[in-house]
Amino acid sequence: MKSLKGDAQLAIGVIVLAAVYLYMDMRLPEVRLSDPLGPRAFPALVGVGLIVSALLLLLERRHKLRINPLAETPPAVDEPGTNPGKSTRHSPLVLVGMVAWTALYYVCFDRVGYLIATTVFLLGLLTYFNRNRHKTNIAVALGFTLVFDLLFSLVLGVPMPAGLLSI
Amino acid sequence: MESLYGILHGLAVAIQPTHLLYTLIGVFIGTMISHLPGIGPSAGIALLIPVTFGMDPITALMMLTGIYYGCMYGGAVTAILLNAPGDAAAVMTVLDGYPMARKGRAAAALAIAGVSSFIAGMIGVTCLSFVAVPLAAVALHFGPTEYFALIFFALSTVGALNGNSIAKGMMAVFMGLGLATIGIDLQSGVPRFTMGLAQLQDRVSFLVVVVGLFAIAEVSRMVEGTLGGTLHSVKVEGKLWFTKKEWKRARPAIFRGTAVGFLCGAAPGLGGTLAAMLSYVLEKKISKHPEEFGHGAVEGIAAPEAATNADTCGAFVHLLALGVPGSGATAVIMGAFIMYGIQPGPMLFHTQPDLVWGLIASMYIGNIMLLVLNLPLVGILSKILYVPPGILLCLILGIASAGVYSFNNDVFDLYLALGFGVVGFLFRKLDVPKAPLLFGLILGHTLEQSFRQALTISNGDPTVFVRSPIAAGLLLCALIMTGASIWSKRRPVKDLQLAEARIAEQRLAEQHLAEQRLAEHRH
Repeated sequence: MKSLKGDAQLAIGVIVLAAVYLYMDMRLPEVRLSDPLGPRAFPALVGVGLIVSALLLLLERRHKLRINPLAETPPAVDEPGTNPGKSTRHSPLVLVGMVAWTALYYVCFDRVGYLIATTVFLLGLLTYFNRNRHKTNIAVALGFTLVFDLLFSLVLGVPMPAGLLSI
Repeated sequence: MESLYGILHGLAVAIQPTHLLYTLIGVFIGTMISHLPGIGPSAGIALLIPVTFGMDPITALMMLTGIYYGCMYGGAVTAILLNAPGDAAAVMTVLDGYPMARKGRAAAALAIAGVSSFIAGMIGVTCLSFVAVPLAAVALHFGPTEYFALIFFALSTVGALNGNSIAKGMMAVFMGLGLATIGIDLQSGVPRFTMGLAQLQDRVSFLVVVVGLFAIAEVSRMVEGTLGGTLHSVKVEGKLWFTKKEWKRARPAIFRGTAVGFLCGAAPGLGGTLAAMLSYVLEKKISKHPEEFGHGAVEGIAAPEAATNADTCGAFVHLLALGVPGSGATAVIMGAFIMYGIQPGPMLFHTQPDLVWGLIASMYIGNIMLLVLNLPLVGILSKILYVPPGILLCLILGIASAGVYSFNNDVFDLYLALGFGVVGFLFRKLDVPKAPLLFGLILGHTLEQSFRQALTISNGDPTVFVRSPIAAGLLLCALIMTGASIWSKRRPVKDLQLAEARIAEQRLAEQHLAEQRLAEHRH
């Protein structure tokens, strides 16, 4: 994605983000006590700055394209050294799966409790990333969870949620 | 003289058993973190801030600072043994460190890197002690106008000098500034951009952003590395010392690297990577054997390592004296200061002398600890390189989640951190630097307050920013720096490109090798 096409997409994304930000800023109440600017002025400058930086990125992209017109073309698949391995091709799917698994862990964090949720979460990840080493994975998942629960609850005085274990 | 008394006072604070213990823990953890490819000092410090909750601020900050310079110290280990810099600043060490290791001189390369880091660290801390006090005295005369100009200058240099594109640097700074505007506006009491969420009224937590952006996002890099199977290391073998001839060649390079590094560190935004690169280029230019560079020249390890460590000390000059961080990692440390209710800046030397001088003195002690830890134990410490990355990435996610939750005991922070993790991943894929966003987030609040206060004092007259000579000078410097970086980015530095190309080439070759092995295994 570190291509000029990616730069164009980034610039457009940032312009949209800045437009939403500026719209929300305009809807803020105008309060001017002793302050000549009020709460809206600084965010407005930030929003404009975001748009300017996005336009600058588009200019940079144009400049790069002028120097190297082939820069935007993605590398050929059969070009030596550019053919990604099967595992690398699958990594976006793995990453999406990891985000979903982590989100599920956070949903269960309070309800199920730290000890159970974290052990299951780590065990799930370890089963995928450290395959066929079940004993090690169970030891790591259980050991890590217990050590951190004790560290936060006893040493640092920050109790982690007990969840189902409090019943 | 004031500095000398300060250092002596600081030493008395730093040698207290608790402080010694936590400094040791900090530098040890820093060294271990630096051995994990991809997990740089910013992510390492961010992960461990929650562990310092409940500690005395002096002890906690000594430990966090120890992690920082421990990381910078050990960044060379992965560069030399793995051809993968532990942090961005160690990228130049790869050029000569890895070839030297491949020649069977890995232990000597590590020893040169360790000694260079130690000497540069000690000189750097001494310079920090003597430069910070006069700078803080000048900064005491700063009003809101000058502070606005100073922060504007820092943000413009960080935005312009980080990464390969000025536009992307600027974009990240403005995103950080935008994040800093979320929450209740202190002057008017109006909630801004909170979207009705009570959790956002008290501003976006710095810890959540930093853990998400640095630690959680780095996990994605490790996932790609694990799936690609590209991590192969060179074992520490041979005599764990360098020859007299090598030392004779390295010695002047260390001192030159220290000078370059400290000066780069003292200018906000330049960072360790530029310091290492400049020192490497300087050595290559003045060397009698330029043809050896890139093939295991000892100066090519000594100078960048010295520069990186001296840069660390330089970066503390304006953090402590002006309250403006000099690098991504010092920005994280500044966040930790603020979390402990301490505002870094010129007043710190008067209001918290124990903390500031204790912290500086702990750096002397930490450097000695690092030398003692690293030289004899480097073979053992580097065993962490052999911990399966699949286990490591799971543990990092576990530590990050526990740390973020413990900050407010609120699951909302976890969702936010995951969101910032995704943002950090996109930043990496789109080549947007992360450090400017952090600078914007941390300095945004002070920038806005200074801006509004300056205009309130001047009854809304914007010429106030050019009427003050200091402010006008700083704004002019910001313009010059931005202009200079636009000019310099038209001609990318050859040596840095060479270093990056070589790392990429090596990784590609290793990826092919891994694929071949996999194919053979299947057959």
